[in-house]
Amino acid sequence: MKRVYAKEELCLNCRLCEVYCKTAHSQSKDIIKANKYEDPEPVSRVTVCGDKMLSAAVNCRHCDNPKCVEACITGAMQKDKKTGIVRVDEEKCIGCMTCLAVCPFGCIKTGKFAVKCDLCCTEDEPACVKNCPNRALVYADFGGKG
Amino acid sequence: MMNYVIVGASAAGLACAEQIRKEDKDGRIILLTKEEYLPYSRPSISYYLKGKVTEKDMLLRKPSYYKQTGIEIVTGAEVTAIDRKKKTVRAGRKSYHYDKLCLCTGSKPFVPPMKNTQSKENALTFLDLACTKALKKKANKDTRAVVIGAGLIGMKAAEGLSKICKSVDVAELSERVLPSILDAKSSKSVKKFIETEGHITFHLGDTVTEAKSKGGKITSVVLKSGKELPCDLLVLAVGVRPETSLAEKAGLEVNRGIIIDPGTMRTSDSDIYAAGDCAVSVDMLDGSKKIIALWVNAVRQGKAAGSQMAGGEGATGGTFAVNAIDFYGMRICTCGLINAAGDKYSDRVIQSGESYKRLIFEGNRLVGFVLINSSENAGIYTNLIENKTDVTTLSGDILGTPSLMWFDKETRKSRLKGESA
Repeated sequence: MKRVYAKEELCLNCRLCEVYCKTAHSQSKDIIKANKYEDPEPVSRVTVCGDKMLSAAVNCRHCDNPKCVEACITGAMQKDKKTGIVRVDEEKCIGCMTCLAVCPFGCIKTGKFAVKCDLCCTEDEPACVKNCPNRALVYADFGGKG
Repeated sequence: MMNYVIVGASAAGLACAEQIRKEDKDGRIILLTKEEYLPYSRPSISYYLKGKVTEKDMLLRKPSYYKQTGIEIVTGAEVTAIDRKKKTVRAGRKSYHYDKLCLCTGSKPFVPPMKNTQSKENALTFLDLACTKALKKKANKDTRAVVIGAGLIGMKAAEGLSKICKSVDVAELSERVLPSILDAKSSKSVKKFIETEGHITFHLGDTVTEAKSKGGKITSVVLKSGKELPCDLLVLAVGVRPETSLAEKAGLEVNRGIIIDPGTMRTSDSDIYAAGDCAVSVDMLDGSKKIIALWVNAVRQGKAAGSQMAGGEGATGGTFAVNAIDFYGMRICTCGLINAAGDKYSDRVIQSGESYKRLIFEGNRLVGFVLINSSENAGIYTNLIENKTDVTTLSGDILGTPSLMWFDKETRKSRLKGESA
């Protein structure tokens, strides 16, 4: 499956991926409203870790054997058999955050329920990748081997 | 064609069935549950009690899923005997033949002896959906509820009831709340928070010794300290014990829980496996044998058992405790040896306002953590514990927010590629 891969040598820590992720997962889909006014505040599913010297945008690896799915106590976290995308069913999630406690990449955020990257589901390219000005994010089918 | 029979359809049982199906496309899989429901999320019962989820939301899989995957579920089927010679199990008037059998019988409530609480209509346990429904029916805005036990189950019952009832009192024999997941210091602040947010009254170091009743109904309870509390609803949540009666009757080796080989999940009978809360696990962090009654542990053991039953080589990997839970919006996340005592352990604590972070080390290894309102990226800590990582190899402040940038370039690169952590 295609995943988002981050290249730390190209990342400038500009955090535009976070801005666009927030927008893509907002009610309004408007960059200003989403990032300044919308309440509840949309949560970015991608996080730029590190500092100006060294950084990378980290988001869900959509693991082959996802620990978050194993740990989910409600069956809300599932890996789609066809697409491989690991998604949260927001109706079923109770927000216990056990998934967060086991994700080795630190890719699950706390909201009303567990919040994570869904690869923008319907898009051909996730918003973070599309809007990374220095190509530090790529959407590719590396099969995890690179 | 192989016949697989699984007894119990919660975390371990369902994971076991699914794993068998992955590795054996043709075998017959029969999943027997004594409950009247399709597999559902047991931990969600407190959310059902407070009205946050519906019964439908609690189902772990869609009802159509079982037919699609060829897993035959029989509800209302309480297995009462195993015939190891004939290789059958009996449920009601039916018997089921197995080539491989897995016991995923979970826990049963432990009710300590108390005077006059037996078979009272308003004394209930809190462990499954059926008793939660009964509890919900009896609780209303005039109810004065008393919960015995301030562990995970008791506290979740108390939280749920506090949103419905007039008053909730919790009696706990231990001197602190949530003793299994919190250390002494954090349990104090959590108790205070719950008292304020939930208007719950605690009676710690105390317990119910006797109930007073009228016409088959409890009207008040008397505590060890002599206090008497009016009581319209009594919740018995002192603790649980592994459900091992079936295994014992069949002559399998049992010592508190069902004894299994930690690699293969096999019991003392090579065609019978056990997984989840009914089985004894080995804690990888201190080597102790104990019941690790956790969802994720049950799933991993169920998967490993399923794989082994189908002739595969699945294993659980290391086992240790991880808990995440919330009370009135306060997030608690704990892992590993939170109550480790002795010279070989050290700890570091950072606290500000309502957040608390305590990390427990054995030498240069992280072996446990307690995070209150500070669980951001907690899984990275869990991973350090699981991998026995030498924390002196990490860059960055270990008490800060865990980050992939802590790791050396090689590890970082492989993690960013999504290679298994």
